[in-house]
Amino acid sequence: MSAPPVSPPSLQERRPLRALVLQGAVAPAALGLAVAAFLRLRSPTQNVYTETRLWIAAAIAGLLVSAVLVAVTLGRERLAAARTEALVTAGEEHRRFLLRLDHELKNPVTAIQAGLANLPASGAAASVSAQARRLADLVADLRKLAELETRPLERAPVDVAEMLTEIHEVAVELPGADQRALTLSLPQAPWPVGTIPGDRDLLFLAIHNLVVNAVKFSHPGDRIEMRARDEGDHVVVEVADTGIGIPGDEVDHIWDDLARGSAAAGTPGSGLGLALARVVVGRHGGSVWVRSRVGDGTVMGLRLPAA
Amino acid sequence: MPGRQDDGPRPLVLLADDEEAITANLAPFLERSGFRVHVVHDGEAALRAVHDRDPDLCVLDVLMPRLNGREVLRRLRADGMWGPVLLLTQVGEAGERAMALEEGADDYLNKPFDPQELVARIRAVLRRARPGRPPLSAAGTLRSGRLRFDRVARRAWLGDGELTLTPKALTLLDYLLTHPDELLTRERLLDVIWGFTTPVGTRAVDNRVAELRRLLGDDAADPTWIETVSGLGYRFCAKVETAS
Repeated sequence: MSAPPVSPPSLQERRPLRALVLQGAVAPAALGLAVAAFLRLRSPTQNVYTETRLWIAAAIAGLLVSAVLVAVTLGRERLAAARTEALVTAGEEHRRFLLRLDHELKNPVTAIQAGLANLPASGAAASVSAQARRLADLVADLRKLAELETRPLERAPVDVAEMLTEIHEVAVELPGADQRALTLSLPQAPWPVGTIPGDRDLLFLAIHNLVVNAVKFSHPGDRIEMRARDEGDHVVVEVADTGIGIPGDEVDHIWDDLARGSAAAGTPGSGLGLALARVVVGRHGGSVWVRSRVGDGTVMGLRLPAA
Repeated sequence: MPGRQDDGPRPLVLLADDEEAITANLAPFLERSGFRVHVVHDGEAALRAVHDRDPDLCVLDVLMPRLNGREVLRRLRADGMWGPVLLLTQVGEAGERAMALEEGADDYLNKPFDPQELVARIRAVLRRARPGRPPLSAAGTLRSGRLRFDRVARRAWLGDGELTLTPKALTLLDYLLTHPDELLTRERLLDVIWGFTTPVGTRAVDNRVAELRRLLGDDAADPTWIETVSGLGYRFCAKVETAS
């Protein structure tokens, strides 16, 4: 059950993942409707007018995300028909889509947050605010993804061992990490892993996202191993776990935007962490891959040019 | 005007956004936060309102009918009106940054935002405002003691020696110098450097601040320029002036 390396995003083949995006579309719709229902069901207070506006806004926001996702999925499928000559165009189209989505979502989410700020403090208001915050984070993540595809990268020598050591330090503080054996192994013979040219902040974020994923999809007592090796003109970084694994029909899609595997139900997250890692690695001229067996675990890797 | 919201009449905020769902919810919140609010829904109305009502601060959305927020700001500045302006957009890409310098907004906030954050920014901008004079963010060169920063060329000097800074450290220095004496959280600085926030990224901010301190020879325990605000972020604690 192995998957081939994924090529850089701008040239990556964009599959018409109608089913996947439809799944992705359900989450924001459900979230929006849940917020809406929640507000609607609350016993009316002096702020009935504001609350009515709020539940409408919440419902619209959720449905908006879904509608845009579905519409653009269909658009992307049409686009896919011409993809043999237009892989780069598809990447650009995808970026524009993410920016459009950001644009269409940010006003309703801003309105919801402003409306919530007018409600008297209560457990209910705090709970709905947390959900609005999730929507806001999703919008921010989508924008982040779009920007990463084009923004100029800072390229300076990055000491891989030093960076991984810091990621490990941060990762052991992740919720649940103390219940897993989270190790870092850096070979010293015949020589240590050296430096790679790149943007340290972004590479840090990408690898950290792999570790977050490993912690999320493993159980207390599982092992998570971070490791790196020198392959001459490339450096390979792997994050391996003895966690729950990824079913064969999902393994190819884990790097896609808003990908949420069947095991992800009930696990918090936007479904953008690995997509972000893929984009970052692609921008550095590298590739990502994954191998997984259900019940045994998963290894995710990055291969980055050393010069 | 310093202290105005504490002991004077409540500051008047002009809120310009074409989304009624936003203004209808934001205006009452700002009023409860101690401001008077005048709402308009397009750029031309915003320009008229600035001339008719002389607000203490304008919050301008960028995408508005008739005249966009950037154009409103440009026209105000062209008329020599230097009242504080907060633009509801992102300062991110290099091109936008150059435009930001040219247009001279006092601060930026990207949607969606936490309304509390908007209030905090409004207060900080009002505190910083220098009535009748261009904001630091509209200045080409800034000086703070021996430190000089050419914001157009993006070059910095300490005394006679030019500093070699990474692009992100330059961006950070620019923001610190244009927001003196203001608590800048790690999250906000990360947003400035990267245009987004992520929980692990705050370490990136610490690394850049360390880089700046090293080059400036600034002692974190007894800072001349960059003060650590324990558990929260940083503050540029030295006086900043416009240099010609």
